[in-house]
Amino acid sequence: MSASPYRRFAFAFGAAFALFYVVARARGFALFTVYPAQGIILLGTHRSRDISDPVLDFLAPEMYWYGWTAFAAVGALVIGLVAALLPDRLCRFWAWCACVVPLIAMIASVYLTIPWFRL
Amino acid sequence: MATILLILHGLVAVALLGAITHQTLAACAPPRTKPLSFFGRFRAVPGAAFTNAVVVLYLVSWLLGAIVYLYFKIDVQPNLERDRHWHAMGYLDLKEDFVAIGLGLLPSYWFCWRRPVDGQNALIRAAVTILWRSLSGGPFSLVTS
Repeated sequence: MSASPYRRFAFAFGAAFALFYVVARARGFALFTVYPAQGIILLGTHRSRDISDPVLDFLAPEMYWYGWTAFAAVGALVIGLVAALLPDRLCRFWAWCACVVPLIAMIASVYLTIPWFRL
Repeated sequence: MATILLILHGLVAVALLGAITHQTLAACAPPRTKPLSFFGRFRAVPGAAFTNAVVVLYLVSWLLGAIVYLYFKIDVQPNLERDRHWHAMGYLDLKEDFVAIGLGLLPSYWFCWRRPVDGQNALIRAAVTILWRSLSGGPFSLVTS
């Protein structure tokens, strides 16, 4: 079997991962939420302040980063598999996407982080 | 335990930074003749030989960082927020974003260096390597700043 399907998968995976991660980061699409202080993991995006009094949310800090990464990985896996089944003439397109989309994702990440520097 | 993991995380990151810098320069500016200067020898390395080591170092660094992040969230972040170190929080936020994007690029990076063919895909290989260098080197710089 030629290396082309793997090449298309790799490039499409890289581009799609960056895209899905930024979307998850911006919209809060976490596959699961980790509560490290309590040692529990809940499916989906949860905020402790939605359950308990908002002033007590410091007792149960939530972590979304693992959920965002998992969301991006699952989405990128699907896109990569689809790209591997598409014609080989799209390989250049996926290679171009693998270079451009992560760069745009980096810029978007910087934009989403700006509020920390305005406090 | 967390301190040991953090130190290991830093050491692995330093090794990763060195390896990816060698490879990036070898991909972008390979020397044409026998190198005589330090910079020439620095970039005269066989770039493909670093690939597997870079992938392993990145995954180990990512894993260690993911574990240390749990300790950070409980023991360190509340103090940073209480003392209003917002910029530090912002840099760490940016670091986790870059690290995640770099993780997604790992397969394409590995594939670009898997079978380097002279003249073919050299531009894509250089572009992906530079992008990946920015993603992996950036977090190190952000953390040490």
